[in-house]
Amino acid sequence: MTTPLNADFLQGLSTGEAERILALGTRVTLESGEELFRLGADAKSIYLIAQGRIDLTMPMQIRGREQEVLVEERRQGQTLGWSALIPPYRFTLRAAAPLRSEVIAIPREALTGYFRKHPETGYIVTLNVAAVVGQRLSLFEAMWAREMSRMVELKCA
Amino acid sequence: MLLTGIFASFFALAIAVIAFGAVVKQNEPPRTPADPLQTREASHFFTSPQARPLEMPRVPVEALLSQLESHVRLEQAAAESFVADPTSALLHSRTASPFVN
Repeated sequence: MTTPLNADFLQGLSTGEAERILALGTRVTLESGEELFRLGADAKSIYLIAQGRIDLTMPMQIRGREQEVLVEERRQGQTLGWSALIPPYRFTLRAAAPLRSEVIAIPREALTGYFRKHPETGYIVTLNVAAVVGQRLSLFEAMWAREMSRMVELKCA
Repeated sequence: MLLTGIFASFFALAIAVIAFGAVVKQNEPPRTPADPLQTREASHFFTSPQARPLEMPRVPVEALLSQLESHVRLEQAAAESFVADPTSALLHSRTASPFVN
């Protein structure tokens, strides 16, 4: 079993600190096709991908039927489920494993409780969270701008 | 007298025929030169003006979803390039996505 000490939100922490954070979590194995969390569910934990891949999808109407459409892929060492740290703490995407995968589920309550006792760790992890979330925001802004540009070109050309 | 009557009848009949012919001619639609376009269309063998365009076969939903996934991955990669080096050229760079090509 791999321990993702170099995970995105653990960057800048000592090995000991990273291990203590990971010890707050529980390893969860997902079989191929198994759902990790559904759209709209209460977000109580963030998840670190220890092995495999998790696909994030959104529902889309295609020919009168609702289909799950890929929005983003998350791979080993990456974190997902940031909604667990952001009110109203509800997942805005569906997450499922396209192949057998393993994640470490870290409950929000355990994480914030640890940060209260170790604020310097909380500061570093919060900066990492902000960096990851900010990068995803920039990515989706760019993707949205590209799609809008194509739509305008189609409609107004 | 009799001959006069006969000739008058024939004359009246001739006038009537001529007059009838003139009226019929008046009611005929004016003859126009043949419309070259209509002639060209009428001579088409494989198409007709009333024919509907052939419907393209629908892509199966599974193939459509696969194309969508490919499109999302390519768009994400293009967006990552832009975020790493924000320029207008990279923002509007083209991908090989089947959805936009």
